[in-house]
Amino acid sequence: MSLYPSLARPRTLADAAALLASLSSGGVVIAGGQELMPSINAGVLAPEVYVDIGGLAELRGIAETPEGLLAIGALTVHRELQTHPLVTAKLPLLGHAATRAGGGRQVHNRGTIGGNLVAQHPLYDLAPSLLALEAEVEWVKGSETVRQPLAAMLADSRHGLGSEAILARVLVVPMAEGLGFAYEKLKASGGAYGSANAAALVKLTNGRVAAVRLVVGAVAERLLDASAAAAALLVGRPFDAAAGAALAHAVSALVTAPLSDAQGPGPWRQAMAGVVARRAVAAAVQRAGRA
Amino acid sequence: MADRDPALAEAPAPGGYVGRAVRTLEGRAPIVGAARYSNDFRFPGQLHAAIVRSPHARARILKVDLSGARKVAGVVLAMDGREVATHLGPIPHYIDPATFGGKSAEVRTMAVDHVWCHGQPVAVVVAEDRRTARWAAAKVQVAYEVEPAVLSVEDAIAPDAPRVVPGWDDNVIMAVPFRNGDPDAAFARADHVVATTVRIHRFSTQPIETRCYNAVWEEETESLTLYGTAQNPHPLRHVLSKVLGMPEGRIRVHAPAIGGAFGMKMHGHPEESLVCLLAKLLRRPVKWVETREECLLIGAREQVHHLELAFSRQGDLLALRDRFFANTGAPSACPGWGMAFLTGLTMPGPYRVRDIDVTMTALVTNKPSWNAARGYGKEATALALELALDEAARQLGFDPAELRLRNFIPADAFPYASPTGLQYDSGDYAGAVRKAMEAIGWDGWRARQAEGPKDGRYLGLGIAYELTPEGGALPGTMVAGYDSSTVRVAPDGSVRVLTGVTTPGTGNPTGIAQIVADELGCPIEWISVVQGDTTTCPYGFGNYSGRSTIVGGGSAALAARAVREQMLKVAAAMLGVGVQALRLSNGVFDSGDGRTLSFAEVAYAAYTRAYDVASCITPPLEAQATFRPPSIRHSPDADGRINPYPSYSNAAYAAVVEVDSETGQVKLLGLAAAHDCGRVINPLLVEGQACGAIAFGVGGALMEEIRFDDAGHQLTRSFMDYVMPRAEDMPGVTMVHHDSPNPDTYMGLKGAGEAGVGGSAAAVVNAVNDALKPFGVAIHDLPLTPARVWAAIHGSGAAGGAA
Repeated sequence: MSLYPSLARPRTLADAAALLASLSSGGVVIAGGQELMPSINAGVLAPEVYVDIGGLAELRGIAETPEGLLAIGALTVHRELQTHPLVTAKLPLLGHAATRAGGGRQVHNRGTIGGNLVAQHPLYDLAPSLLALEAEVEWVKGSETVRQPLAAMLADSRHGLGSEAILARVLVVPMAEGLGFAYEKLKASGGAYGSANAAALVKLTNGRVAAVRLVVGAVAERLLDASAAAAALLVGRPFDAAAGAALAHAVSALVTAPLSDAQGPGPWRQAMAGVVARRAVAAAVQRAGRA
Repeated sequence: MADRDPALAEAPAPGGYVGRAVRTLEGRAPIVGAARYSNDFRFPGQLHAAIVRSPHARARILKVDLSGARKVAGVVLAMDGREVATHLGPIPHYIDPATFGGKSAEVRTMAVDHVWCHGQPVAVVVAEDRRTARWAAAKVQVAYEVEPAVLSVEDAIAPDAPRVVPGWDDNVIMAVPFRNGDPDAAFARADHVVATTVRIHRFSTQPIETRCYNAVWEEETESLTLYGTAQNPHPLRHVLSKVLGMPEGRIRVHAPAIGGAFGMKMHGHPEESLVCLLAKLLRRPVKWVETREECLLIGAREQVHHLELAFSRQGDLLALRDRFFANTGAPSACPGWGMAFLTGLTMPGPYRVRDIDVTMTALVTNKPSWNAARGYGKEATALALELALDEAARQLGFDPAELRLRNFIPADAFPYASPTGLQYDSGDYAGAVRKAMEAIGWDGWRARQAEGPKDGRYLGLGIAYELTPEGGALPGTMVAGYDSSTVRVAPDGSVRVLTGVTTPGTGNPTGIAQIVADELGCPIEWISVVQGDTTTCPYGFGNYSGRSTIVGGGSAALAARAVREQMLKVAAAMLGVGVQALRLSNGVFDSGDGRTLSFAEVAYAAYTRAYDVASCITPPLEAQATFRPPSIRHSPDADGRINPYPSYSNAAYAAVVEVDSETGQVKLLGLAAAHDCGRVINPLLVEGQACGAIAFGVGGALMEEIRFDDAGHQLTRSFMDYVMPRAEDMPGVTMVHHDSPNPDTYMGLKGAGEAGVGGSAAAVVNAVNDALKPFGVAIHDLPLTPARVWAAIHGSGAAGGAA
């Protein structure tokens, strides 16, 4: 702890990773600063060294990889996700979720996808969609580069602010043509964090659900991947009112330890998990039907 | 009735600036970033203070260890409350409860050996920069012995409740009955009695600019200057002189541009005198800037009302009973607690019922203290009455509008002596309700509602009324009903108005300039208005209670009129005609015979020809005047009652909402208000104020809440937790004016700054409860968060059937 922290601006990702490894607990990565700075201003964090990765070209850009994935650099800001043609064309679910993220235009212009995911915050808006899309992440720690499912990273308590690892890219399989998608976010008022949200992907065949991915957020400490429960109820059937009610009921039942905070009390959050899940799937079904 | 002031009738004819939507003269600076707020004042060698606050609601202080803070490089001073108390006396109460028969707690700048709320100052650290001060403050170690806290009014009134103020025999600041007629007999003969409990939560006012004080010690004159966020510079100077033990003549308070106040920057705050002490001890300028977390500690409004309304079969309100309790938090020298008194005094609002039995009980608890908040208790009167009336309409099967129209004070009954002793000046409440309903398209919405819910979304319509006494004066306090202004015309004809009222950013200087321009017959661009400085302005009481244009404008008009008389005399002498022959308009004196003189020519002559054409006046071209509204009455009547207000603004509010029965979310589809603030000086300013108050009401009704855990720790610490309405939450607001001029003020003005918080909140709540009617439930616990609305619907047992 120091009253006068220092700022490091490494030139390469490797330098940044090596520096972080040498600092043990005193260093913190800063890029857009939208997550970190409020914690510092509130006195929650008092880092000794800020490792500014904002200038690392290796972490920028959105491109297709040779294996056909979309690689999104960790420094990609929300505004780029909202407007980038590759995201709009190949990952419209993610682009849509980015438009619903908290904060105004200024925040969207600074907040990065990396910071959003590393925060591991249950109320944040990008992770549910990326989990529904079964995204992978690539991170660098010391001299080691690790690629793992996003789900594994989100479950790992070593990540988060102050970690020694640097998130480098997010890798996502492009959405298939005709796949229905929706991100449904419920908040108590315009300026509030979400009280419940859900990302859904639905494939329809002849008006019947052929496949479904469903992730529910903001209702529990961890995101809830309800895809298996949804598939068991919905696959092979048309998505009608009865199916929707059964889905809502099933999803709420999966929320065993709901959050209870300024965004609303537990029983309501549990009920809302079912509501946003049903609404997200319904909207995804409608989109798939139009395609 | 007080005699009418003849001067009031002599206002200039309409057609000038008054009544026009003049853009604010002072609005440019904040828009281009040139406004100088308190935190923009920087002084060479300035030090920064940080305050260590109690993390506990109620505790004994066993030990304060400042050594860790003193070791930090850059720290120049660290003091605990015990040491501060050796330098500073108790803070005088803005409104001392003892003056009105209540209990007066001794309020110290910092806790000495006992803490009575979360956030109470315990120690202070001063350092070369703000960061070091905050860093070092975190190193102060305080040992507490935590005691059980008193948090709710139910806790506080329990006979065995711990005493918030050591030595008090209970936790009651003051209990006041407001009783008139024979309410017991009226209840006995009533056909119906409707009982309702209304719970108003703790919500706040959050100016974008938090508080900030810069104290500067002037060694040359051994005097202090405080540059800070102060709504009331002169009264604050008096308080500082008492706390610091210095004569008022050695203290100057300068309040620069203020970024919102809403009552929160009325004084009594411990940091005001603390920062002055630090500058005096250290002989260096000291700055303290409130953090948002600190700003959120200042509470208001939390009340529980147990109402009973007695009705005849026809729907006449025969009697009103209300036992209400205000949770005013820990004792404070700020005027917050008085809000509870005003809630009682304003009963029964716009209704003609005479038999009332209202008891106000203001309690201290171990929550942080209140300060004044826009509405000043009158918003709570509106909420309690209007929610209860709608409950009565539901239970008895009346239309809510019809029930109100049946029970309003009729328009021909003014001036009206209220059952609590107030004298309402004027109004047409029924007319305003009809206008508000028309403005929102009431019948069309009712027709849509009758079509039934769509996709589980239920329409609801609500109306509410708010009576808002403004411009208040309480005897024996610095809440004064009058104020003063000086008008000066310089030799070049430019006009300077120095006034004792201040602006929190509402635009009242422009309203005052419009009035002065019409009185002087000169272009408004020649006028500048100076406010907020105890050295340059006449003694005045600043800004509160919607008073600034009533008494600031009224006094400036009287002073301008005196200067105009002087200038007319000089011009008449210059032209060799009688004063009666002259006309003054648009900066030109016209003799009627083809000869004219400019404003500047006459002004220059007034200064330079004192032994010639100006010998008929006493230079300089300057006059000071006071406007003291004549209808305020402080001599008690036979029942011991006074009339502390000259102005009774009022407005009808109508709201349309859509409730999502599945989530409990409330969407506002429309809001309308028909507003009576007497003669409108500037519709832009009035509508801006009213729309702001309406947004306050919407926030209070639906989302804003300061929350605590069971031990009394405040959970609401930032705008992430304290969520105010965004543009997307607000529908367009339709404002219509329904003015009835006030016979007791200059030009017929009523206050316009405070009204609207309670009326708009009540209309929204009533609309939600109207939407919930199919479920057979109504909510009277605020705020109506989606979770609360959902719980009401889904706890009703009717959710499946009605949906």
